[in-house]
Amino acid sequence: MPAHFDLNDSSVVVIVGSGAGGGTLASELAKKGISVVVLEAGKRMELTEFKNDEIGMFGAFTWFDPRTSSGSWYVAKSSPDLPAWTCKLVGGTTVHWGACALRFQEHEFKTRTRYGAIAGANLLDWPIDLAELAPYYDRAELRMGVTGTHGIPRLPASNHGKVLFAGAKKLGYTQYMTTNMAINSVPRDGRASCQQTGFCVQGCTFGAKWSTLYIDIPQAEATGRAEVRAESQVLRIEHDASGKVTGVVYADRDGNTQRQKARVVAVAGNAIESPRLLLNSASNQFPQGLANSSGQVGRNYMRHVTSTVFAVFDKPVHMYRGTAQSGIVMDEARLDTRRGFVGGYNLELLPQGLPSFATNLLPGEWGRDRASVIDNYANLAGVWIIGEDLARDSNRITLHAERKDKYGIPIPNVHSDDHPNDLAMQQHGLQQADALYKSIGANRTVHHLPFPSTHNMGTNRMSEKPQDGVVNRFGQSHDVKNLFVSDGSQFTSSGGENPTLTIVALALRQSEYIADQMSKRAI
Amino acid sequence: MRLIDWAAKLSRRGFLAGGAATIAAVAVNGTNLIAGPNAAPAVDAVGLNAEESRALLKFTRDLFPHDRLEDSFYARAIAPLEGEAAKDAATRKLLADGIAELNASCMASAGKWFADVPEERLRVAAIRRIEGGVFFAKVYGGTMTPLYNQPELWPKFGYEGPSSALGGYLNRGFSDIDWL
Repeated sequence: MPAHFDLNDSSVVVIVGSGAGGGTLASELAKKGISVVVLEAGKRMELTEFKNDEIGMFGAFTWFDPRTSSGSWYVAKSSPDLPAWTCKLVGGTTVHWGACALRFQEHEFKTRTRYGAIAGANLLDWPIDLAELAPYYDRAELRMGVTGTHGIPRLPASNHGKVLFAGAKKLGYTQYMTTNMAINSVPRDGRASCQQTGFCVQGCTFGAKWSTLYIDIPQAEATGRAEVRAESQVLRIEHDASGKVTGVVYADRDGNTQRQKARVVAVAGNAIESPRLLLNSASNQFPQGLANSSGQVGRNYMRHVTSTVFAVFDKPVHMYRGTAQSGIVMDEARLDTRRGFVGGYNLELLPQGLPSFATNLLPGEWGRDRASVIDNYANLAGVWIIGEDLARDSNRITLHAERKDKYGIPIPNVHSDDHPNDLAMQQHGLQQADALYKSIGANRTVHHLPFPSTHNMGTNRMSEKPQDGVVNRFGQSHDVKNLFVSDGSQFTSSGGENPTLTIVALALRQSEYIADQMSKRAI
Repeated sequence: MRLIDWAAKLSRRGFLAGGAATIAAVAVNGTNLIAGPNAAPAVDAVGLNAEESRALLKFTRDLFPHDRLEDSFYARAIAPLEGEAAKDAATRKLLADGIAELNASCMASAGKWFADVPEERLRVAAIRRIEGGVFFAKVYGGTMTPLYNQPELWPKFGYEGPSSALGGYLNRGFSDIDWL
C-alpha cells in the first residue's frame, strides 16, 4: 500500500513528475528499498475515466498552464499559447503517448564528432554511447513489453499501415513495418492485448499501452515505500549553505504552500517545466538558477523536425481504425549527408479522428478547399515526419519577464528558430511522403506544418565537462550532487526517434546510480 | 472492406452526450476562457437577435462549407457563441458589430444583407475583408470545435467515433483494405 511520509522526513528522495522518467525512477528506487515521494502537478485519473473522446480528453489532461512562445518556428504562429502538447496528470505524457518505442542510433549519441562543427548549432557528444545504454534499452523494452523486441510479436498492420507500406514498397523503401510499440500485441504482464480501438492518445481504455499511471506508479506504491501526491505543483527547490538541495516547496491541491524535505531531488517535469523549475530556484548562492553554472539550463531546446502529410485517395482508408502510430518507414533514419542535411528522420503513421483532424487542419484557413479535404476524411491517410533537430544555444526556455502563474511564479517562454538543417530535412521529408502516397494513386496531398511539440528535449543536457551542460552521464547535476534530472531534458541530442524509450532506459540506469551513491553515503 | 452507413443513427442519449462534449470543447478552445474571467456579465446584456443569428450561421457555413450538412449542424455550432453573447455584453457587441460590418460590405457589393447574398463568392469576398480581425477570430475559433465535435455529424464523413465499448476495431475492419 502507498506510504505516507512526513514533510520533515529528510530521508526521502523527492521526484518531481510522474511520467516516463519520474514514474520509472520512482518504481525502481522503491523496489530497491528507497523511500520516495512523487510530487505530481496534475490530478490522478483512473483507467475507467478515459473516454474515446478526442476533444474531451484533450481538455481533461492537457498541460494548459500559461506559456508563451517566440522565434521563427511555425508553432509560435499557429499555437503561440500552447507551444507544447504534454499532459498534466499522474502518468504524465505516458498517458497520451503514441507508444513508439525506438532506440537511438549509435551516431546520434555522437553528433559533434559525426556531424562536425555546424554553424549556428551547439552540438555536443553525449557522455555515454549506445553500447553503454544497450543493456538498459533491453530492460526498458522488456519492462514496457515492446513489440518486435525480445521475441514479442509485432502488432498486425492496419488499413492505414497497409497504405503506408504499399507506398513505401513502390518507392523502393525496404525498412517498413509495424513499429516497435510499447503496446501489448498479446496479453502480457497482467494486461490485455491491443483491441485496435484507435484511441491511444486519449488514454488506452484497455490498459494495453504502457503507461506509468497504471503500471509503474502502482508498483512503486505496492512496495510500501512510495507516496504519490497528486495536484502538487513544485514551486522551487531549496538548498543549504553547502550548496546541497534540502527539499522542495510546493503548492498542494488546496493551494497551500508546503515544504517537503529531501535527501535527493530528481526533476522530471518535461523539458519545459524542468528548466523552468531550476531557473525559478535561483538564490543568492545560485543567481543564474540552480545547477546552472554552465548557463546551459533552458538552452538547446529540441522538439524534433516534424510535419505531417495527409493524402487524399479515391477509396476508403478509415485511418482512425486501429493502433494509432503502428506503422513506420525507417529508410530515411540513416545518416547520409548526400541528402543535404545531417541526421535522419522516420515516417510514422499519424491518424486522427474527425474532431481532431477537422479542428487541427491548416490553422487559420477556411472555405471550400479546406472543407473539401475534410469531406474526404474517410479516404485519407496521414504520415508524420519525425527527425533530428539540432541543439542551438538560442533555442531555449526562459522565464517570462512579466507574466506569472496562479502561484506567482514566472511562466516559461519557449523560443525556437529553425536551423537551416532542420528546414532542409523537413523539405526532404515532405517531398518523400508526397512521392510515397502519389506512387499509389493519391489525388492530392496536404502538408501540415508542426503541431505543438509532443517531444521536448535538451534543456538540461548531459555533458562530460561541467561547462558544456547541466548534468553528467547519470543525469546528476554537475553543480549539486544530490540533484538529478530524470526526463528528456537531459538529452544531449534529439535523435530521429521518439524519446520515451530512451527516457525510460536512462531512468533505469540512473536508479542504480542513485541507489549506489546513497548506499555509499556519497549523496 | 467494411464500410459504414453514412446516415446518422444516433439515439437521443448520444445527442445529449454530444452536447456536453461540445460545451467542454468550447472551454478547451481557449478563446472563451480568456474572455471569461475579465468580462463580468453586464446587466443589460441581451443575446443576438434572429437576423444576427441567421448571419452568424451563414458566416459559419461559409467558413466550413459542407454541402452534406443541414443548417441544424451549423445552428448547434454557433449556439455556444450565442450563449456567450446572451451573458456578456462585450461579446454581444463584438459579434453584432462584426455582423453589421459584413452586412454593410455586402450591401455595398451586392445590395443585400450578408445572409441574403446568393452568390457564395460575394459573401466570401466580404469575409476576406474582415479576415485577421477580432470578430473573424472569435467566430472561427468559437464555432469550429462545436461544429466538428457533434457525434451525429461524424457518420456523414465516414467516422465511427468511440470504439472501446464495441471491442475496438480488432474484429471490425481495422485491417480489411481490399483495393491496394
